[in-house]
Amino acid sequence: MSLPKPVMRGLLAKRLKFHLPIAFGVAITTALMYKFAVTEPRKKAYANFYKNYDAVKEFKAMREAGIFESVRPAGK
Amino acid sequence: MLFFAAILSLFLFLTPLASRCYSHGKVETEEEFDSRWVTYFSKPDIDAWELRKGMNTLIGYDLVPEPKILDSALRACRRLNDLASAIRILEAVKDKAGSHKEIYPYVIQELKPTLTELGISTPEELGIDKL
Repeated sequence: MSLPKPVMRGLLAKRLKFHLPIAFGVAITTALMYKFAVTEPRKKAYANFYKNYDAVKEFKAMREAGIFESVRPAGK
Repeated sequence: MLFFAAILSLFLFLTPLASRCYSHGKVETEEEFDSRWVTYFSKPDIDAWELRKGMNTLIGYDLVPEPKILDSALRACRRLNDLASAIRILEAVKDKAGSHKEIYPYVIQELKPTLTELGISTPEELGIDKL
């Protein structure tokens, strides 16, 4: 009972041909999923917050709350 | 840009042994490759460095060496009175085969006459194949 000759060449190339596209695919998919699940919503949230942000109004509210040291509330 | 790098590296891995992405130049056949290595180890006055260098280079390729190359290397070990390297060569072949468990038994089968003639024990016969 003698063993037949197996394939002995190109074993790594064969493995990589299978695994490399998967590796790149997983990496790229992960990056895309992070982009659309995390960074884009975050950017939208910031954009929405600042779309109608009135800096002067916010400043006046903070001033009245007395949190500043350099500016006292109006009328004091 | 990333896709280009991925596709290029994938193509380079698919090129056969001893061929590169030259725009010219012949691709060496498997038989020519094997003969070159059989000749290398057949040098009558091969020295220990050349044996080690040859084996290390050969092991670096994406292939398990053909039994006829290994036969030539084992005979070089015999000329150099180096039994340790002869057994190490067998261990290296088993390691190169990786998860393809059918390769090593086949190689031992093909080398059995040479191993008997030269008096080389396999790692399994010596019990050093297990940790």
